[in-house]
Amino acid sequence: MGATALTERYVQEVVRRIPADQRGEVAAELRAVIADTVEARGPDDPEAAERAVLAEMGDPVRLAADYSDRQPVLIGPDLYPAYVRLLAALLCTLLPVATVALAGLDVLDGEDIGSVIGTAVGTAVTVAAQLIAWVTVVFALVERSRGGGRIRRAAEWTPDDLPEPPRPDRGATASYLWAGWNALLIGLIVWQHTARPYRAAGADGGIDRLEVLHPGLWSGWIWPMLAGLAGVVVLELVRVAARGWTLRTVGWYAAAEALFTLPFIWVAHRQMLFNPDFLTDFNGGWTTPDAFYTLLAAGAFAVSATAVANRFRAARARQAGR
Amino acid sequence: MSSEDLILGQAQELRRGTVVLACLALLEEPQYGYALLETLNGAGVAVDGNTLYPLLRRLEKQGLLTSEWNTDDPRPRKFYRVSTEGARVRAGLVREWQDIVASIARVTKEN
Repeated sequence: MGATALTERYVQEVVRRIPADQRGEVAAELRAVIADTVEARGPDDPEAAERAVLAEMGDPVRLAADYSDRQPVLIGPDLYPAYVRLLAALLCTLLPVATVALAGLDVLDGEDIGSVIGTAVGTAVTVAAQLIAWVTVVFALVERSRGGGRIRRAAEWTPDDLPEPPRPDRGATASYLWAGWNALLIGLIVWQHTARPYRAAGADGGIDRLEVLHPGLWSGWIWPMLAGLAGVVVLELVRVAARGWTLRTVGWYAAAEALFTLPFIWVAHRQMLFNPDFLTDFNGGWTTPDAFYTLLAAGAFAVSATAVANRFRAARARQAGR
Repeated sequence: MSSEDLILGQAQELRRGTVVLACLALLEEPQYGYALLETLNGAGVAVDGNTLYPLLRRLEKQGLLTSEWNTDDPRPRKFYRVSTEGARVRAGLVREWQDIVASIARVTKEN
């Protein structure tokens, strides 16, 4: 007799919380002992017997804790696959892009090969360390916030508490992309400030290197904007780890979006977004119309509002689906 | 809390360690999980499956039990038996047990 669907769901709920190398064996043993007990208990009504046996085995979280050695871990076996996948994806995409971009800039500047390699290695190490550190911190916080306090006593647990088999997480790719885009914006903002990539013809016939954004932002509005962008990245990662939005995380998300968008709208409205020297050189004799800034502000507002509204709807749908 | 509940709670504490000793004693002959549970309960050693099965696995990890999958039956089962190390530990635990019984007997007689 193969394990029934209910037993199988129970077994999966237990083994997904124990270390991966033990899952197969523990699952096989659990199936056998549950089937043995059901068979001995209720030959007349195997279905009722199965429910009774599973209720006696108790909360899968608790059983899994008994099967694991309860070594305190930073990121539990439950979240570990998502953690590894996300790290691999970021290290395979952002890391080479950043490294090649900064090394390429050195090449354009006519630096010698030694300093190009130096820049490449330095960038790779710094970016990799930042990525690993931040992703680890976010996942560890999610792990802590889910806490062990949710284990119920065996008597309070019934097979009805088994969650539905997990559905594939369809929103994960969108989350990765949005987190990646916002991380890219942070990178670009910092980069244009430190590398001064724009080359303008200087007054004395030489080449001036300019920032694209208004340098004055760095003594004011850029900080809430960067914090907002970082908040969006972190919350998208939380969304991936938790496999969906909750009203609480959407609340934080809305705050992070506001932190970026409101200063952005203000700065765009005051026409203090771009470096005046950059605009003069870039536009030549042409003047940027006011409508451009209005459009920029309205666009930023529309993107933010849509993003928040979509996530709010997703959280509501998820809550209703429980 | 009634005194009966208190006795029940304390008795559970007393029995906790004895399950290990009972398992090491009974698994001289190989047995699979559910059969061992029945044997233990039949012998008056009260233990639940959700305690026993993880315990067997822990004892195996510690090298006190060895296991083997029997796939002759339509339902594959994992059979456990005591290892040489397990037998040594059992002998030590039996001595401890007799010491405890003797000590407690002395202490309780004096009252």
